[in-house]
Amino acid sequence: MKRFAGKIFFTAISVLYPVIVFCGLRYWGLSPRRLSLMLIALAFYHFLNFTRSKSGVDRGRTGGLVALVLACAIFAFVANNVLFVKLYPVLVNLSLLVFFGFTLWRPPSFAFRMACLGDKSLNMSPAFKAVERYCQKVTVAWCIFFVVNGIIAVLTVFVCSDKIWSLYNGLISYILIGLFFIIEYLIRKMMRNKMQSYVPVCDLESDARPDGALVCFDAVAEVADVSGAVANVAGLRTWRDFVKDVSRVRYYLEARENTPWILHCEDAYYFTVALLAMLQSGRKALVTANRQEAFIKEIKKPEYGFLTDEPFAGNASNAGEMPTTLIQDVLAEENARCSDGENAREIKFGKFDKSKAEMVLYTSGTTGEPKAVYKRFLQFENELFELVKVFGNDWVNRKVYSTVNHHHIYGLLFTALLPIATGLPFRRHRIDFPTELANIAGEAAVMASSPAFLKRLSAETDQPFEFKCAPIIYSSGGPLPEDVARKACERTGFWPMEIYGSTETGGIAYRQSKNGLVWTPFEVCKMSVAENGCLNIKSSYILEEEGFTTGDLVDLYDDGRFLLKGRSDSIVKIEEKRISLPEVEMRLKQTGLVQDVRVVPMVGKRQYLAAAIVLNAAGREKFAGVPKLAINNFFHDYLLKFIENTVSPKKWRYLEELPQNTEGKIRMRDIQSLFGLAESPNFKILKFRREPGVLTAKLLFPAASDYFDNHFPEFKLLPAVVQVDMVLRLARNFLDVPKELSKMNRTRFACPILPDVPVVVKITYDADAGKVIFAYTSENGETLYSNGSLVMNMTAAAGEGENRG
Amino acid sequence: MSDLNTRIKEVMIESLELEDITPADIVDSAPIFGKNEAGEGLGLDSIDALELGIAIKENFGVTFSTVKEETKKHFASVDALAAYISANSKG
Repeated sequence: MKRFAGKIFFTAISVLYPVIVFCGLRYWGLSPRRLSLMLIALAFYHFLNFTRSKSGVDRGRTGGLVALVLACAIFAFVANNVLFVKLYPVLVNLSLLVFFGFTLWRPPSFAFRMACLGDKSLNMSPAFKAVERYCQKVTVAWCIFFVVNGIIAVLTVFVCSDKIWSLYNGLISYILIGLFFIIEYLIRKMMRNKMQSYVPVCDLESDARPDGALVCFDAVAEVADVSGAVANVAGLRTWRDFVKDVSRVRYYLEARENTPWILHCEDAYYFTVALLAMLQSGRKALVTANRQEAFIKEIKKPEYGFLTDEPFAGNASNAGEMPTTLIQDVLAEENARCSDGENAREIKFGKFDKSKAEMVLYTSGTTGEPKAVYKRFLQFENELFELVKVFGNDWVNRKVYSTVNHHHIYGLLFTALLPIATGLPFRRHRIDFPTELANIAGEAAVMASSPAFLKRLSAETDQPFEFKCAPIIYSSGGPLPEDVARKACERTGFWPMEIYGSTETGGIAYRQSKNGLVWTPFEVCKMSVAENGCLNIKSSYILEEEGFTTGDLVDLYDDGRFLLKGRSDSIVKIEEKRISLPEVEMRLKQTGLVQDVRVVPMVGKRQYLAAAIVLNAAGREKFAGVPKLAINNFFHDYLLKFIENTVSPKKWRYLEELPQNTEGKIRMRDIQSLFGLAESPNFKILKFRREPGVLTAKLLFPAASDYFDNHFPEFKLLPAVVQVDMVLRLARNFLDVPKELSKMNRTRFACPILPDVPVVVKITYDADAGKVIFAYTSENGETLYSNGSLVMNMTAAAGEGENRG
Repeated sequence: MSDLNTRIKEVMIESLELEDITPADIVDSAPIFGKNEAGEGLGLDSIDALELGIAIKENFGVTFSTVKEETKKHFASVDALAAYISANSKG
């Protein structure tokens, strides 16, 4: 208590010193000699501090200060000179300068020490480095401040009147110090939320994050404990692990001539390790979501490498043709190579030239065949910077989850590159089922998602998830219907943020549809309208000087924001009549009976439109038991109120859902191929999904179907020959399988298929072997009705007519 | 329903690749193009008309006048078409 009172007393004297001296001289008639006694008292006070301080720096500083103050006091006393009395503020400045300067020379800097005291978690934070750098700058700024303040204090001693000296050192100087504090505090606040943990991917070095910082985790999220002992928990990887693994892959890559490397890893951690190793080693990376053997063969040349985390199933005969490198093997092999300790070999991890590093991405092919898009890493880096600028504030202390494929641009940026650049931990595997969200309700999450997943979220769950803090959800890959966004918000508490972009352009703009359908472009994107009415974008992540013209029609506002008006290829000419496909779709939805619809242009004997419709609950109720022709006529008659007969759809399909690919995109050519198979009263396709070489379709054979006639009249079941014929018809139509069947292998009919019971048929076509493999199962996959494989006649020029059941 | 009418309907369905329609669904007296007040009719469009004209010519060996109004009359319904074909194919 005594000590505390003394401390307050001396601090008050120290702070008020200039005022006391001024008053002493001016009003109280004290001589400099008398006043020097106060200096002696202050020297005594600093001496007490000196004896208490533990750190060497502090002792040196206070020791020096005591000596100087004492010297001044003695001079002032002996010479009875006021100048020495007035030097005290200069000495205080000098001592602080020495102290701050010393911590710069011997880090951690003073400001960083204070920051660490204030926030204990900083040591494990991905922001560690950035905060340290920032604090160093702050410390330098303090030093400069003390120099300037000290010089002014000296000037006031020798040049100015007592009054000015007192005014400056007793008031102005304090105000300046206060201002400095406030300004620095405000800047720090701003920095902390924005860039603090962000490091451009190309600038990452092995000490960019603390060794124990969490990089990724698996299904069950674990939190890194303070000791940093997290690496042993399954799935968890720390920054140290990441650096080592990248280094191992680099040793492997650099020991080989192969380039470019085709890259496909389902595990986002392996993917990120492999990608960073390729970038740092100067190997071009071909990032493909499609790992069908046929596709890889198509793009692979002999000198290419192929790095993946999953071997092709079986078939050793192909292994020779398709050299596949498993990343797990690479890591184990390179680890063994330096088994005498990782230290034996230098860690390879460091900066790379972003303008030289090359990548190739493949589009998902919404409108056409997948297309290779060439990228330089600079483009991604510029976009990451932009994303952090716009959204970075919201991400602090969150974990990154994904429902999308990280081999496509949006997933690549949001779920692989961003976590690495910002130091946010990411989950290694995708969230596949909306119900899984319940498991992460306790986490603060950033989730990169898609309209497909969010649609399922609203369809498959009916309760809001009890999120501790609402996740931040992004949606990209296609337009997110407003009602789906609203439902997603009801379930999660966050109205999804949509990102509009493409493989060629990267992210262009963003919106939350609760605020309207207008898109706000990222600041670096300069929008204009091209001659054909489509949106043109120029940005720092589009290399072409003329920018990129999308296929999207646009209404561009003066402030750069815009509304999308549908795709330009959505305007088609049917027998010379122009019609907008979205308009027809919109009119069909206006009936209030349609949940989802796609209208596609078809070319047969004539051009016409065809519509694939998913009825909503009201539609299903209204049309229950109604013949298809009557349903067609209903929609046809409705449309004729708005559009001409020629451009009204001529063919109709009613599905349970529209076919989507894994990115949640509905491809026009999938819908078109549905109409390639003539409608028949004998079977219905309820839904289907086409991936390269694989078709999955849900079928229904009505009791009235001809297929059930004359087999067992008393017990109707689907004849085997019909099942095989159906496979052939589907395979020919959807998978481009040759017409002629050469033989059937191991075909088994295990269980009868009954009328009006939906069945799922999965057909896989191996083009090289000329084999069609099929299986009919129940919808839940539990009952196998039949399976087998068909060998097609690959040489036959033309097949016979279709063999109907 | 006469055989000729059924034949005409089959030709229509086949040549115009009509889906979900059987000959029984087509009303003999109903308009082929557009609809009547009762809402009956095939609702075919002008492109279909050209296509159908060719198919009828090929299948039944009849030709149509180049006067639009007259031709329109013959294509009014399946009945009208049947009448025109039976009147002209004999000659």
